[in-house]
Amino acid sequence: MKEILVLCPHGVDGGLLSKAYALSEGNLRVLVLEGEEQTAEGYGAKYIHTIKTTPPDEAAFAGWLAEKIQSWGSTIVLAPATIAMRNIMPMLAWKLNAGLTADCTALDMAGEDLLQTRPAFGNSLMASIRSLSTIQMATVRPGTFRPVEQKANEPEIIPESGPAETGKVRELSFTEFAGGKPLSQADVIIAGGMGVGSKEGFEKLAKLASHLGAGLAASRSAVDAGYAPFRCQVGVTGVTVCPRLYIAVGISGAVQHLAGMSGSEKVIAINSDPKAPIFGYADYGYVGDWETIIDRLLHLEEETL
Amino acid sequence: MKAVPAASTVEVDGEYRLKREGTSLQWNIADESALEAALRLKDGDGIVTVLTMGPAKLEAALKELLARGADRAVLITDRRMAGADTRATAAALKAAAEKTGPFDLILCGRRAIDGETGQVPGELAAALDILCVSNVERLEKTETGMRLFRRTENGVQELEAAGPLVVSMCEYAYHLRLPGILSMRRAKSKTVEILTADDLELKTGECGLKGSLTKVITMEAKYPGLRKGPKETDLSKATEQIQAMLREVRP
Repeated sequence: MKEILVLCPHGVDGGLLSKAYALSEGNLRVLVLEGEEQTAEGYGAKYIHTIKTTPPDEAAFAGWLAEKIQSWGSTIVLAPATIAMRNIMPMLAWKLNAGLTADCTALDMAGEDLLQTRPAFGNSLMASIRSLSTIQMATVRPGTFRPVEQKANEPEIIPESGPAETGKVRELSFTEFAGGKPLSQADVIIAGGMGVGSKEGFEKLAKLASHLGAGLAASRSAVDAGYAPFRCQVGVTGVTVCPRLYIAVGISGAVQHLAGMSGSEKVIAINSDPKAPIFGYADYGYVGDWETIIDRLLHLEEETL
Repeated sequence: MKAVPAASTVEVDGEYRLKREGTSLQWNIADESALEAALRLKDGDGIVTVLTMGPAKLEAALKELLARGADRAVLITDRRMAGADTRATAAALKAAAEKTGPFDLILCGRRAIDGETGQVPGELAAALDILCVSNVERLEKTETGMRLFRRTENGVQELEAAGPLVVSMCEYAYHLRLPGILSMRRAKSKTVEILTADDLELKTGECGLKGSLTKVITMEAKYPGLRKGPKETDLSKATEQIQAMLREVRP
């Protein structure tokens, strides 16, 4: 089977490595940060290239990667669709004269060809795409595939010098968001809509989310109303999420919102309006006052602390 | 800037298929952010050029952007460019940027709400061999270049970049101003510049579907799957059930 190269210079994506391992039948090459060799080994990587840091000049990084990939002879190149990799991969694709498909949610091999499936226009259209270039490239939505650990493959570990510092882009500071995990990596998401009614209501949701180690999300109208910051927005103009459990609180269920969360494994909807469209797209619907339910859950959580 | 189907007009038919005929177009929200950022950055003598690629009917919409303060408007329009993937799009934009330039900065939206690939800014930057900073929510000029605030998954990165660059802006970072009386008056005397593949010296093989390196094999409508789970009105039961489901997924 063809070798697959997975680029994870900002942290190992176990699900993607597992998928690539399966598609390449164990013929897996990865690039990771120094210190993550064992994690990569655990997912069956055969060749593990390491770099010490990732440079802020992503154009220079892409240039360095292009040269490396040519020397490795890789013809299938995958990366998690993180914010940084979604900037680096297009630059890399241009340099390698390769077709690139964004944010795939399914991958398959058809002989030598990588079949790339991705949603478009929210999640309402699914397109199956093939590359016409020698090198086939795709980014894959984080959290799409389940990580499967493999027996050690006795990999070859190859430390790389990494790209030279250009000084053209410098990181001056980094301010971490309060509230832990990014939405795209959360197993549980609590999302609020207009039905939550106020900023104070959202604070309650945030409190429960922090107790549960869950992510806090919001519908566009709730963001527009100032209840939650834009980075919480799930939907066509916000982020797309696929957690194991999505709890929609006071969200009516506009098409644009559904597009951002319909990939969730299990959906719970809490809404006082029994006719809210969200109930059609939920595995479990609860009709009634959201605050009663959230208060009880908060109470139970605080009791167990 | 890209014109996309207006999100509010997205409708589905009885079989949950997306209806696309007759949808009206609007400027992509993140691209409006980019234009407003450009208008704020320009000094008295700066020039903001709006560049788009699409059907000839976009001329009127571009006129409106002139009224909102852009100095020049350029439309790449050519039937041969239909069906372009992100690479063919970047190739056309590169040629147009070089033809209409020189420029100090290229601003664009971080992704369009229809295709959602977000790949054109990076491919364009690589084509022009300049820097690219993505997902920016605020930017300002400094003595040596630009200071950029980039939103990542878990925080905001403050970057400084020197030299020509492509910046892709987040949605709602800046709200595009309304047309002003002065700029409306100025816009009246301006025309939208039209560029075809020939003007850009692009061969047919470099345009549209033929110039693309990816090919869509099948396209299926997939409306968010109806789940239609049971509805419960007993809120004590609700709490119990939710707790049980939380226990299942929490490590």
